[in-house]
Amino acid sequence: MKVYADHAATTQLDIDAFEAMKPFLLNDFGNASQPYSFARTAKAALKSARATIASCINADPEEIYFTSGGTESDNWAIKSTALIYGDNRATITSQIEHHAVLHACHAVERMGFPVAYLPVDSQGVVQSDTLSEYLSDSTKLVSIMFANNEIGTIQPIKELCEMAHSKGALFHTDAVQAVGHIPIDVKELNVDMLSASAHKFNGPKGIGFLYIKKGTNMVSYADGGAQEFGMRAGTENVASIVAMAVALEKNCKRMDSVNTHLVKLEHRLIASLQDAGLDFIRNGSNNKIPGNISLSFRGSEGEMLLHRLDLMGISVSTGSACDSENTQLSHVPEEYAKGTIRISLGYENTEEEITHIAASLMKILKH
Amino acid sequence: MRKAKKVSCVSCGKEALEKNEIGINKKLLGEQVESFYCMDCLADYLGVSVQDILDKIEEFKDQGCKLFE
Repeated sequence: MKVYADHAATTQLDIDAFEAMKPFLLNDFGNASQPYSFARTAKAALKSARATIASCINADPEEIYFTSGGTESDNWAIKSTALIYGDNRATITSQIEHHAVLHACHAVERMGFPVAYLPVDSQGVVQSDTLSEYLSDSTKLVSIMFANNEIGTIQPIKELCEMAHSKGALFHTDAVQAVGHIPIDVKELNVDMLSASAHKFNGPKGIGFLYIKKGTNMVSYADGGAQEFGMRAGTENVASIVAMAVALEKNCKRMDSVNTHLVKLEHRLIASLQDAGLDFIRNGSNNKIPGNISLSFRGSEGEMLLHRLDLMGISVSTGSACDSENTQLSHVPEEYAKGTIRISLGYENTEEEITHIAASLMKILKH
Repeated sequence: MRKAKKVSCVSCGKEALEKNEIGINKKLLGEQVESFYCMDCLADYLGVSVQDILDKIEEFKDQGCKLFE
């Protein structure tokens, strides 16, 4: 039995999203920026996709900027803010961000601008007390991920955003793991920028978006043509954009039922492992992305578990407990930390597959 | 120069396991493993084919893992 349990890494392209792409790859291949009738279908599809995506996060269509994915969106948000306010005010982020944010922040430091990296608590949460220690009138941007990719912890984005705004700073969130999986309302959250990536919510790879609240000053990401309201030049990947919109809308419509299913699968897996008497810790807080299960097994090795599970047909990820940059697992006792894996479930995973995962782990760990 | 210690298969007794055999034992059984299997016995122990294990070795080599040659 083959089991794919690494949905936090990528997800399968939705079949309806795939079908929606085809016309724009084959027959309606017009350049959406051209003025003639052959471009009309592509232009209309682009407009419709933008509106669909905007409605999924309660944004306005003109606040949605298509990018090549989460990494580009993160880099754009962070570097643009550093450059456009070319003063010495600091960027604040957390130590547990995805490398797209961390390395963009390192680049900002190399440009000569200060960056502060907030620690998290034992459950991987950025506490407001911690942010307030670093936040001042000299902060220009706070960037905190919506949900952590390793342990699924959801951050108190609205609260952290309010704090940032109270000091005149912008707020960006890398929501790559959250969009399409939990409800997101950018107006309610009041964030200034939000990154998303289609392949995390059953869309195609190589496409994503950056939500930029109206009135936010930005440096253009790429100069050239007038695409993306003159802020990100480059002929639009209409096929992928259309697919992204289809996938996101579908995910948002079935979100409740999918999350109920995922929570049920999580409980079944944890119960099976506990019943088997395995010695493990489940990482992260109770407020997490459904389906994200980070487990640390005492005395084991995450890489060994990953490859042994792979040989049994199961795809998971390791937790990077040994990675010195990865501090969300720094509170895990040493004898457990090295044996960390991440299982991230999707709507297509079944109870039978959960049974197979549990049985495989028992076989490896109890032998 | 110190000669590398010769390691035998704990199951069939095959002597002088090769570098790749030692490496794949460490990868699949744990870095601290003290008993090593030859390729055939490891495949048998894990319930997979020798080809599966050889494919894994190639993956590790592609990643630049120094345990393999």
